[in-house]
Amino acid sequence: MAEKRNIEINSRADTMDLMNPDIRPWPVTPPPDAEWVMANTYAKRKAEDFGKWSEDNLRYEYSFGKPEALQGFRFLCVGQWRLANKFCAALLCEAGAEVINIEPPEGDPLRQLTPFGREEYMLADKFTGEKCGLDFLHEMRGQKSVTLNLETEEGRAIYQTLAGQMDGIIDEMPPGYMDSLGLGYRQLNKLFPRLVYLNMAVRGTWGPYKDKVSKYGQWTLEPFGGCANSFVHNTGFPQDQLPRGKGGDPTRSGVWFADYVAGEQGANTILAALYWRNVLGGTGQFCEVTGAETQMDILDFDIAWYGFNGSIKARTGAWDPNLNQYEWNPCRDGYMMIGGQTDRLWYRIGMCIERDFPQFGRLIHEDPILKEMGARNALAMLIKTYTVTTRWLRDINRIEAEQKLMEYEIAAGPIMYIDEVAEFPQFKYRPWVCTIDTDHYGTVLFSVSPNNYQMRTPHRVKVLGRPLGFDTYEILQKFCGVGQTKVNELKEKGAI
Amino acid sequence: MTKDLRECRLEDLPGPKSKQELDEMRMPYEDYCKAVFAPGHEMSKPEALKGIRWLSTTMYIFTPHSVANLAELGAEVIKVEMPRMGDPMKHTSPFNEAYLYPLHDTRPMTGTGYGFTSANVNEYYLSMDYHLPEMKEAFYRLIKMSDGLTECYRPGTFDRWKQSYRFVQELNPRFIYVWGGGFGYGPKCFGGSYDILGQAHAGLASVTGMHEFMGGHCTKHSNWCIDWYSGTQITFGILAALHWRAKTGLGTMIEFSQVQAATRVLGHAAPMYGRFGIVRQRWGNWDTQLCVHGIILCGKSDFPDAINPQDKFEARYAMVSAFQDKDFKALCDVIKKPDMYSKYMKHKDRVEGEAQVDIYAELEDWAKDKSRAEVVRILQSEGLLCEPVMNDREVYESEHYRTRGTVRWMEDPLFGDVLVQGTYSAGLMSQTPRRQYWIWRPVGADNVKIYHEMLGYPISTVKEWYDKAWI
Amino acid sequence: MCDIIWCKKTQADGKPCETVNYLDPYCFWNWKGNINCAHCGTVYAIHMIQGHMYKGPDEQPAGTKPDTSPLYADKPLEGYINYPSGMEGRTRPFHCLPRHIYLGVPDMVKFSIRGKPLRGWRPQPKSAGIAGQFPYNWEMEKLSPEVAAEYKEKIAKGEVKEW
Repeated sequence: MAEKRNIEINSRADTMDLMNPDIRPWPVTPPPDAEWVMANTYAKRKAEDFGKWSEDNLRYEYSFGKPEALQGFRFLCVGQWRLANKFCAALLCEAGAEVINIEPPEGDPLRQLTPFGREEYMLADKFTGEKCGLDFLHEMRGQKSVTLNLETEEGRAIYQTLAGQMDGIIDEMPPGYMDSLGLGYRQLNKLFPRLVYLNMAVRGTWGPYKDKVSKYGQWTLEPFGGCANSFVHNTGFPQDQLPRGKGGDPTRSGVWFADYVAGEQGANTILAALYWRNVLGGTGQFCEVTGAETQMDILDFDIAWYGFNGSIKARTGAWDPNLNQYEWNPCRDGYMMIGGQTDRLWYRIGMCIERDFPQFGRLIHEDPILKEMGARNALAMLIKTYTVTTRWLRDINRIEAEQKLMEYEIAAGPIMYIDEVAEFPQFKYRPWVCTIDTDHYGTVLFSVSPNNYQMRTPHRVKVLGRPLGFDTYEILQKFCGVGQTKVNELKEKGAI
Repeated sequence: MTKDLRECRLEDLPGPKSKQELDEMRMPYEDYCKAVFAPGHEMSKPEALKGIRWLSTTMYIFTPHSVANLAELGAEVIKVEMPRMGDPMKHTSPFNEAYLYPLHDTRPMTGTGYGFTSANVNEYYLSMDYHLPEMKEAFYRLIKMSDGLTECYRPGTFDRWKQSYRFVQELNPRFIYVWGGGFGYGPKCFGGSYDILGQAHAGLASVTGMHEFMGGHCTKHSNWCIDWYSGTQITFGILAALHWRAKTGLGTMIEFSQVQAATRVLGHAAPMYGRFGIVRQRWGNWDTQLCVHGIILCGKSDFPDAINPQDKFEARYAMVSAFQDKDFKALCDVIKKPDMYSKYMKHKDRVEGEAQVDIYAELEDWAKDKSRAEVVRILQSEGLLCEPVMNDREVYESEHYRTRGTVRWMEDPLFGDVLVQGTYSAGLMSQTPRRQYWIWRPVGADNVKIYHEMLGYPISTVKEWYDKAWI
Repeated sequence: MCDIIWCKKTQADGKPCETVNYLDPYCFWNWKGNINCAHCGTVYAIHMIQGHMYKGPDEQPAGTKPDTSPLYADKPLEGYINYPSGMEGRTRPFHCLPRHIYLGVPDMVKFSIRGKPLRGWRPQPKSAGIAGQFPYNWEMEKLSPEVAAEYKEKIAKGEVKEW
């Protein structure tokens, strides 16, 4: 428990440290304990046995006592700027593989990125004082950092030696770059036929609309992927709900979402290729995964719908064009999401709202059009339903709305911000954000792997991002037999 | 290798070994890629997951997609649905307009909506009411003959029906059992969930959309992206478990919370809050960490005379990226605001909030008398990165995806000519590519194939079950 | 009322208008201006803050120009007859749509946009075998000969394309 301190606040700078978990531990209020959950959750549904079995076998806290699924697999990752290769590598690491991340001697530029350029939101290495951006730190989880200058002959030779001892390579350099160095798939495959080689890109490393590099050397980054697959066009509020230029525009995801989607499909592609190689007696192979395409794969029916009758999906804001109710609307202190379209759920939502607001029944339940499930999805019916629902919501807070709807077992939840997410009872009980006491950067709150809850081989975060070149000596000694004197020499020469 | 190590054979030496291989090494990189991926020739290559059989007692998008990934990679998947009804997602279609028929012979007026697209490709469709004790044996037979199962019922439901992992691991210790749902064990264990709940509850919506000062609200990603994305992460869990099983012979149980997966994509949100108490907010079409790197509104649509409103009104947005110093300088020169460059020479200066407001306003001011195509052309001709925000028609017409085979037409065996945007786009593989055999099949369309041919029940029994609506 | 304007304006026949005009939540959440009743055209001045009616609805003198119209309105006391969006002078149009026409009901489609047969219409003739087992082909010529014939015509007319 942190001790009580007297603090004088004269400027914002004085407050910066107060949130440090060493001073204000996470979580601020403890989650409910196992007995409480047994009595108030499992017992209420007469599922005590099941609840106990689940907690005994799946709990987060037990994961470090269990083996790792991908133990013994080894990968090399070479790429900069983007999160796709980092996320792909992070998944593999969480599942137990060893991933060596190759950075140029000056480091991946992603290390320098921080919201609004605020250096005070970067974390400083305890020993060197070198600062690192939080996106990089969070997504480089588990990976080892080795610096190599691939523009030098020595750097390339070391890379090739490393490549020969890997199960797979994740390459997210610009189109054809590694190939031009003689270190692409077609060269390495001749030397190491069992190598699985994965290209990652925003739109692709080949094809008429492949990734570009600007005249001045700037790379193509997300959200170019989302712009090229109609995701951005199909997201956002219509100009009929908010004025164009003032919120009523196509909208990008708040995060580099296509990078994450590419990352996970990249990891799947690698594991499938290795399954074929190891279990079915196959060979290595060449793979390519892009943000634009993997996100298009999951863009519901959007492109297919154009092939059906020439429809071009329009954005629909916070409402879903396929279901009613299935949306969020503003309430007194934020936004409230409500979902349930089958008759069973639809009328339960209505009963809940009617209790406070009887007119809802008159206007919604008694309207003959709204009695038919399919017809409820018509645009006019969305407008009507959501107007009257919001008339109810505007008088209540999110928590009140959630409690009222939960009484009727409706899938409903407020839009929460990260501070609320981090303190939501379920989320800290399970937990899905958690702190890790790191060697270089102090205590850090991070998002837990959703694959962390397994009976035999839970995936887990062992370490977050590392300082630049932290593992260079170890890796070069182990895989190349290059001792420290030689490493230092090569560093001098700028090859490492 | 030769037996006599003094002997040196051509095939043991590194480098190309035949004229064909030599040509391959000499090809331009792009031609080489096109040749090895060979879009359109997927079916003649082996499947990565050949021999894996998976059961899918799933609904909606999230858990089905975790299995569809396996089916695309060559696993044999059996989808179990409620007799006569099918997956509720089959009744979902945008604005109630797009359906393919039939859903089932007994319901000639009901179709399968486009909402079902991509989530269950290549699968065999079995109908079974497994609430019934009479069907329990058939279900157990399936368990014994399969490698794994994905289910999405409320936690404890399968346990009550004696078909949860607690029970099935005794029938088949190699079995890999996946539960996917909203929350997983804990105080909100029994809470229901949808994609949109994940977006809202887990924090993704709080960082997406225009900020209040821009006039906007928290915005929903199009459309069920968190369901899809979370399902793909289950696939990763399954594939890792298959590798572990290949080594040890042991199955496992995976409990996966879809809502949690949405928190996972928030990047620096958690560490920034945890250390500094700063709550990440939405920042519209700009980027919090890079500037210039955002989407701007242009003055005119590219297709003012088009009939479709999406072409007519919406072809007005372009993504501009010039965050490095030289790029930014060139951009300022193009829009004739060289003083903007002197004001924000360092990236640290231009990525500040107020600076971004200033810079994007200048950009949109420059673009206000131009069409999207003009903006893109002018900036590209200066060597800068700028691309249009494309709509579905433009994606369909893009030569890029056609060349790569990631948007293509397919003759579905039962439903005819469909446009496919999925499967091939999830990743190219040179030796064991993903492939799509069919988009979906009607409810119970493989009843005889599975009950009779695989599980060995006589046709008379299958017919009887069918008449009783047990299957 | 607030998020709806229930118009009670007395009509020529002496009865109240009784039309419910729906003020959709995002557009009107914070909004100030004049809006007309979709049925009788009476213009109301409203000022909404965070979804609450800060001022209004105040009836404006006849002849006042409305700034906007509701997207949807109906008359619950007269069998829910309604005014969908885009009725000139009554409701405002909804522009952001996937096509220039809006159906809201299943579109009967026999051919994809490139002109090849697609099973997008109902009812379909029965085609399952035992216990609902379906074959792995469509047999269009047998099940829907009229579509097969139409397809032949389309090919002859050159209406079938590769893309």
